[in-house]
Amino acid sequence: MSNQQRAILEVDQLSVSYGSFQAVQRVSFTVESGEIFGLLGPNGAGKTSTLSAIEGLLRPQGGQINVAGFSILDQPLYAKANMGVQLQSTSFQAELNVAEIIRLFSGIYGRELSPAEVEEKLVEINLQDSATKRFGQLSGGQQQRVSLVISTIHDPQLVLLDEPTTGLDPQSRRQLWDRIEAIKAKGHAVLLTTHSMEEAEAVCDRIAIIDHGRVIAIDTPEALIAAHRNDPDVIAVCRKGKITLEDVFIGLTGRAVRS
Amino acid sequence: MQTKIPQTAAVMSALLRADFTTLWRNRRSLRLVLLVPVVIVISWKGMVKMMGGPYVIAGGITIGLISIGLLGYTNSIARDRDKGVFQRLRVGPVAAWTIMCSRIMVQIATIMAMTIAIFAVGNLVDKIVLSPLGYLTGFFAAVLGGALYLSLGQLIVGLIKNPETVNSTTRLVYFIFIMVGMLGNFGVLGDVVKEMVQWSPYGVVNRMIGTALQPETWNLQATYALLATLGYTAIFGILGIRFFKWN
Repeated sequence: MSNQQRAILEVDQLSVSYGSFQAVQRVSFTVESGEIFGLLGPNGAGKTSTLSAIEGLLRPQGGQINVAGFSILDQPLYAKANMGVQLQSTSFQAELNVAEIIRLFSGIYGRELSPAEVEEKLVEINLQDSATKRFGQLSGGQQQRVSLVISTIHDPQLVLLDEPTTGLDPQSRRQLWDRIEAIKAKGHAVLLTTHSMEEAEAVCDRIAIIDHGRVIAIDTPEALIAAHRNDPDVIAVCRKGKITLEDVFIGLTGRAVRS
Repeated sequence: MQTKIPQTAAVMSALLRADFTTLWRNRRSLRLVLLVPVVIVISWKGMVKMMGGPYVIAGGITIGLISIGLLGYTNSIARDRDKGVFQRLRVGPVAAWTIMCSRIMVQIATIMAMTIAIFAVGNLVDKIVLSPLGYLTGFFAAVLGGALYLSLGQLIVGLIKNPETVNSTTRLVYFIFIMVGMLGNFGVLGDVVKEMVQWSPYGVVNRMIGTALQPETWNLQATYALLATLGYTAIFGILGIRFFKWN
């Protein structure tokens, strides 16, 4: 593997269970530097459990997770130091303003920022006038920008984004895609989960479709479409004649609505 | 590329700055928490001659400690856990204990401020004067007593997940401690209740602080109260940490 394309995230035979329910079963994949990797799946498929295990928020029952060569189980602080995370529903202390939140997390990641550097970060995300606003007073798009700047404040090798564009208007979504691509351009790896097939096609280099806790397909969006364009289940759900990633996704995971 | 994890001191400094800012922004509710013990000390002015200054000061501090431990600490932990604040912190390269340690240090600072406020109000309004050593040992006893109520708060937030249920439970426990503790200590509820109250978390902290305020009177009963305080703190703390869920 070349220096430019090395595995930043290695998930090997990951298993997560809650009591007798197996949420994730022997899931394996890698995410390489300079790659945007999408994790897709219906509700309850095991995406969040997989992500939580990678983030170190839950302890898996089996398997290995390495971030930049560090095991999240054995060297969690080293693994986390190489990882930036944007959670699905981000919440910060309600009493802190945006500048204070950025300062808090810069300290937590060991990159203590001066007030002037915090100002620079705010200019970067076009929120220089919102430094003294509370996080809850920002719009959805502004909140996502703050969350993203915090998740990349320490210039991590891996950025995890859990449904980053949910609830955003098209302009904010496009802007966020640009920011995600800028992370990739710096040679960092991005793992994102999304329910938007349009997003997966637009920004992901490779995707994994996960269902019932197992990876059922993994490849580039184009290769997945090409590989499944003649599947009867995919053709049956095709709506406009041209097979899309969404058709492949529904064809593989079924039409039934998940809770 | 070499990976450096942030130094614990830097992490603690960032967390403490954020937690103290949060405390400062919540100063209205902080004032309410501190108001009750101050009012108690002022309204018990008439009891100074009868029961002695240390008794009044110890009563005020004990009630203040219950307010801080049960109403302040517990509810803030339950609320932030429910909102996912801890989740966001825990995905960083932060040892879980630093998050909780920072929260506890802020509460201890509140306890210290409350104790000094009670000493000041006791002196200025009730004209209670203690020896310098009495103030010093009373101050440390207050911090020790505060640890008991923080650990009780930890137990409540460990056993109960829903923040609204935590809120109502802490208010109920607070009310029971204040009413049964005060009335029981006075003997209004009978000798059996008085005996029970004296060995309850309310009674042992109250007695330990009361005796620490006049260290020359320290006796075996006060030592038992100190040991009971440490015992309650250890049991509540261990169980509270054991059952605590971060999310």
